[in-house]
Amino acid sequence: MAMAYISMGEAHRRITDFLNRFSDAISSQDGASLKPLLAVSSNSPLLFSIADALNVFQDWGRLLKQAERESQQLGEILAPHLRCIQSHRIGRFVDAYVSFEKSANAFLQEFRNWETAWAVEAMYMVAHEIRVLAERADKELSSMGKNPEKLQGAGSFLMKVFGSLAGKGPKRVGALYVTCQLFKVYFKLGTVHLCRSVIRSIETAKIFDFEEFPSRDKVTYMYYTGRLELYNENFIVADQKLTYALVHCNSQYEANLRMILKYLIPVKLSVGILPKMWLLDKYNLTEYTNVVKALRSGDLRLLRQALQDHEDIFLRTGVYLVLEKLELQVYQRLVKKIYIIQKQKDPSKAHQIKLELIVKALTWLEVGMDIDEVECMMAILIYKNLMKGYFAHKSKVVVLSKQDPFPKLKGKPVSS
Amino acid sequence: MAMENQRSEQIPGVDPNSMEKCPANVASQGHASVVVGQCSWPSSNEQVSVSWNYGANNGLENSTSLSSVHHYDPLRDSAGSESVHTGTASYPSASSNLAATNTSQDYAGYVPYSSSSYHYGYGNMEYQSNYYGYAQQAGYASYQQAGASPNSGAAYQSQSSFQNTGSYAAPTSYSGTYYASGNQMAAGYPNNSYWNGVSAGGYPLQYSNYSSSDTHSAPSASLAGAGSFPYQQDCNQWSVNYGTSMSNVNYTFEPGNIVNGTVPSTTFPVQSAIGGYSYASSQPPPPGTTSWKRDLGSSDLTSTKVQTDVIARYSKGIWEEKPPAAQNYHPNQNTVQFQIPLNSKPIVHENHAQSDKTTSPQGASLSLQVSSNIHVSQPFQTVATVDARRVSKMQIPTNPRIASSMTLGMPKLDKESSTTNTTAKPAYIPVQVPKPTNHVPSNDDTDAVIKMGVFPPTVRAYVERCFSRCKDDTQRAANKLMLSEIIAKAKEDGSLWTKNWDMETLFPLPNSASNAADQNTLQHIIPSMPKLPSRRIKSRWEPIADEKLDDKVLSVNHDTTKNISWAEKMNGSRMLENKDNGWKATKFYLTQQQTQLSNTTQRPLKKPRITDNLNITENGDTSSDSDKEQELTRHYSTAIALANSPEEKKKRENRSKRFEKAQASQVDVKLFKPKGSPVGNLYLRRASAMLLAKNYDDRSSRAVEDIDWDALTVKGTCQEVEKRYLRLTSAPDPATVRPEEVLEKALHMVRSSQKNYLYKCDQLKSIRQDLTVQRIQNELTVKVYETHARLALGAGDLPEYNQCQSQLKRLYADGIKGCHMEFSAYNLLCVILHSNNKRDLFSSMKSLSSDAKLDDAVKHALAVHSAVSSGNYVLFFRLYKTAPNLNTCLMDLHVEKMRFEAIKCMSKSYRPTIPLTYITRVLGFSSLVQTGDCEVKDANGLEESEEWLRAHGAVLIVDNSGEMQLDTKASSATLYMPEPEDAVAHGDTNLAVDNFLTRAT
Repeated sequence: MAMAYISMGEAHRRITDFLNRFSDAISSQDGASLKPLLAVSSNSPLLFSIADALNVFQDWGRLLKQAERESQQLGEILAPHLRCIQSHRIGRFVDAYVSFEKSANAFLQEFRNWETAWAVEAMYMVAHEIRVLAERADKELSSMGKNPEKLQGAGSFLMKVFGSLAGKGPKRVGALYVTCQLFKVYFKLGTVHLCRSVIRSIETAKIFDFEEFPSRDKVTYMYYTGRLELYNENFIVADQKLTYALVHCNSQYEANLRMILKYLIPVKLSVGILPKMWLLDKYNLTEYTNVVKALRSGDLRLLRQALQDHEDIFLRTGVYLVLEKLELQVYQRLVKKIYIIQKQKDPSKAHQIKLELIVKALTWLEVGMDIDEVECMMAILIYKNLMKGYFAHKSKVVVLSKQDPFPKLKGKPVSS
Repeated sequence: MAMENQRSEQIPGVDPNSMEKCPANVASQGHASVVVGQCSWPSSNEQVSVSWNYGANNGLENSTSLSSVHHYDPLRDSAGSESVHTGTASYPSASSNLAATNTSQDYAGYVPYSSSSYHYGYGNMEYQSNYYGYAQQAGYASYQQAGASPNSGAAYQSQSSFQNTGSYAAPTSYSGTYYASGNQMAAGYPNNSYWNGVSAGGYPLQYSNYSSSDTHSAPSASLAGAGSFPYQQDCNQWSVNYGTSMSNVNYTFEPGNIVNGTVPSTTFPVQSAIGGYSYASSQPPPPGTTSWKRDLGSSDLTSTKVQTDVIARYSKGIWEEKPPAAQNYHPNQNTVQFQIPLNSKPIVHENHAQSDKTTSPQGASLSLQVSSNIHVSQPFQTVATVDARRVSKMQIPTNPRIASSMTLGMPKLDKESSTTNTTAKPAYIPVQVPKPTNHVPSNDDTDAVIKMGVFPPTVRAYVERCFSRCKDDTQRAANKLMLSEIIAKAKEDGSLWTKNWDMETLFPLPNSASNAADQNTLQHIIPSMPKLPSRRIKSRWEPIADEKLDDKVLSVNHDTTKNISWAEKMNGSRMLENKDNGWKATKFYLTQQQTQLSNTTQRPLKKPRITDNLNITENGDTSSDSDKEQELTRHYSTAIALANSPEEKKKRENRSKRFEKAQASQVDVKLFKPKGSPVGNLYLRRASAMLLAKNYDDRSSRAVEDIDWDALTVKGTCQEVEKRYLRLTSAPDPATVRPEEVLEKALHMVRSSQKNYLYKCDQLKSIRQDLTVQRIQNELTVKVYETHARLALGAGDLPEYNQCQSQLKRLYADGIKGCHMEFSAYNLLCVILHSNNKRDLFSSMKSLSSDAKLDDAVKHALAVHSAVSSGNYVLFFRLYKTAPNLNTCLMDLHVEKMRFEAIKCMSKSYRPTIPLTYITRVLGFSSLVQTGDCEVKDANGLEESEEWLRAHGAVLIVDNSGEMQLDTKASSATLYMPEPEDAVAHGDTNLAVDNFLTRAT
């Protein structure tokens, strides 16, 4: 290994160099040069070389003493930080995380005292790193059969960071970044309900002006809150948020666009807006292709098939329940098609559709539904305002309104 | 219902005063809820919580110093303090709470005396005059918390009223406490190096409260008579203050000493006088600023002699001051009397008499009062044991300012107290003062030595004297041995009662512990000696101890730093220490107790020791810095104390009597048997495990694995198949827990029982409880939960079902076999139908394995889901009719909602009418399974559906052919969801949960 070739002198030099750079960055309040020194998980050559040096020069604590002499706080940040770098290098992620958390806490302590926002970028890095390291540590923990709890710990640390940023000072612009890191943690942990408090303070606190935040963070924020709205089936708001994210997302980041579309498409489908097929192809969202086709053609069987085929994906992303509800729109489409065909044959009687016709169509689609169920579905279509008209039980006929019998959703979800 | 039962059962318990205790539940589940009991006092019960806190607090402290046994010599103490002070100890123990409370209050008020004051406390004396004046003006009520006080508002009020003096008496029954408390309390003081370290954190807080308490005091004074004094607020404040003032009165209860039959023997109020009260002015200066403290420190360092002088001087001062004080108190006494009636009957008279005396100009009157109280307490002694425990936990907050260094020491009532009362005292004082250190500790040892039987008070005094010479534990241990021998001898040759013990010479003590090797050997030699924690040896207290008396003793220089470091160390190693000491000490005490028990037959209840010891054990821990931590510890200590209290045991016994036959209760009785009883050991073992558990909580760094969970697990011995469920309020008693085989039978019994759901639910819950406390997790467990879940579903008892379901989920995840699929389906249905949370739904859908999706029940559940999500009522009711297992039961709860949705939908989309027969069929009223469109006429179903439709505001008409039709247009405007008529809160006898739950969803 490479580290074997490092001489003690070289290791010594590297470590002192690192320590100097670190303390210089802080004393000169140079956030840009501080930032890379904190990026433990980035696999940067710089940190690799430091890690190797640390492994060679085991007595690095002695070197640290000097730094400590200058400032005790600095020592409290650096000692665990170096330990973290060292542990991370040899793949001991739990140790790395524990050390990093110590270092991060010490850093946060200092960060609170800095009135200007010079270190915000560095704090971003800390927030990012602690999350990434926690994820790795958790992976290690669960592979050992232990309770993965570090991500949770990272979450509470991030909350503290949020608290230090949510003030009137110039550092407040950093709050949204931390919020997004928190979202990531909470989504991963499945504790999305915890997002609410952060969202509330972002959206209601007077200290925050949403437009003031960096657009990168705004997009991320909108993406996550849009997803939350989707889960709650608030389609209109979800549509707004995800659309905002899509529009403001840097178009170079196709992966990000795809992620946004993954949730935006079901939202749009729910409010009756179908995407073009090329869009699905371009972003490789083919799981939606058949869903969209089914909606266009009124093919209930195709919809059910598509749902079944991609059940795991849809369940994982949490859009399954949303897609399931598209069934009603498919029924509507089907009836509408029958209506159109009837109209072509005999316009005068087109607004009366015999129930048995619909049953026949469904049987043809191999959807096993008897007449009661179909009658029920027609009643529901009328009830939910997907069809205008009424159902005559005695004659088993759907009587459609002559004006706009199949109202379009026009961006509004099916009424419940 | 169940709850009520429980309560009522407890009441008959032990205490004539109908003191009821709700012991904490330290179930193996790990909840420790500290509920304290309530006294059934006529007066209001407000305040329970507050008082409880005190109690808890105290418990904490007490428990802390388990490891160190301190002896306190009341004689000396009283002399030294000059002010009389008597052992308060007897009171708390003796009485049921109230008596104890009262007495202690009195004392507190009058003579807040602390042994600690010897050391540095003398300085305080100076301020006494201030104190008095102050007291008069402000009329501070010192809050005393005796066991009783928490419960009854009355106690509080009275306290407030008569305790104008405002010193706190904290009756801590366990002698061991002394040190601990001192440590803890004093910690806040910067000057006070002795105390260092323990609870420094608290100080500022307390401080701030000072002023507020002042303001309060005024009202309290005025209201005192009325008894309507808003004591709640005060209480809180006091509690806060308490820490600051650090006056601690330790009471020791000695069951053994019933000398006169009426007079409880030992009492030693240990009041560590700390800065707070020294301030004459109402505005307390910041801690450490006052000059007197410094004096104290210096006096300490220099020599005992100085101290002595100081003491003498001050003590005189005290005496002078007293008269006014006495006057002051007089009015208060009335209150005391008032309280007493509440507590106990006979005492009142005596009290009156005493109060008369109080009026006398002499300071002595104070002591008189005390004695009267003692009398009061006496009758209760039997009960007292129970209370003592509680009392011990109680902290009596003192108004720091007021708390003077006066102590009421009534060492032995008869002789000593009389001395105390007379003016002769002052002369006495200087001599005895030098011994402060040992005073406190000695008591315990005294107890240990004397405890077996009735002894003349003089013997006791002698023993105490002996112990007071001891400088450290080693000596004490040796002392104890020798004393036991001497006493035994005296007993044998009959000189016990004839000998003039007062004149008896003290035997030479072995050299003090300055030599570590000596110590060790000593410890080896003395088997019964508990291993004392190292801290004890290092304690600051030792050096001060009688240089005069014991020339051989090297004066150990305990300086501040040492002490501090000790404190730190203690913090660090607390856990470890506790492990050791807690164990040993507990054991040791047990032995003690047991011997005691075996030796004495006269005394009805001898349990208190155990509890005491436990408390003391806990004390090792007192040194927590944060309030939070303290609270936690308190919590646990209380819990433990409760769990092991005699009261609790008695209750348990009762319980077992109820549930089991004589045989079972015999097992229980074993608990009371001395030594070696496995059951008793089990308790101890469990208790220590709990301690560990507690410690775990304190320091999260300790791994859970370190807790001896096995020790907490019970192996049941009960053979009774049927057992009512009673929520555990303490550690489970093996005698009432059924082992697995019996539980199996019990399950079978429930399954085949013809009784109603309530009965079965109760039985199943008790089975579940027994399984839980024995940590049985196997197929039987699964069966029990499954049975219960099914029954609950059948009865529509969703909450109970949910409990079972969550347990089952865990058990299945552990790979224990059962009807996993069936319950996955239930779970799914539950989420689909009764939860609005979409995330829950898809997470439970996500968690379904592909195998599960092939299961009929699960498929059915999924089909129900899609019917519900699309609103397909036809499908829903079809599934309803064909549901496997108990899926129907879960769907039942959703039927009403679904029907209403359906009828709303129909009314909107159908025109002009819908035949009733159709509605009956699709909405599942018909009992027949519908097939296609063959309309089966089902008269019952029709009737039912018509009734339902009308109840929901539908408009029904009869058409030309005579068929009933729903007029959809008219109905759409008039439909409504009626309020469920018989909706009741859960728990009604008919279990009308269906409606209740339907509405809830």
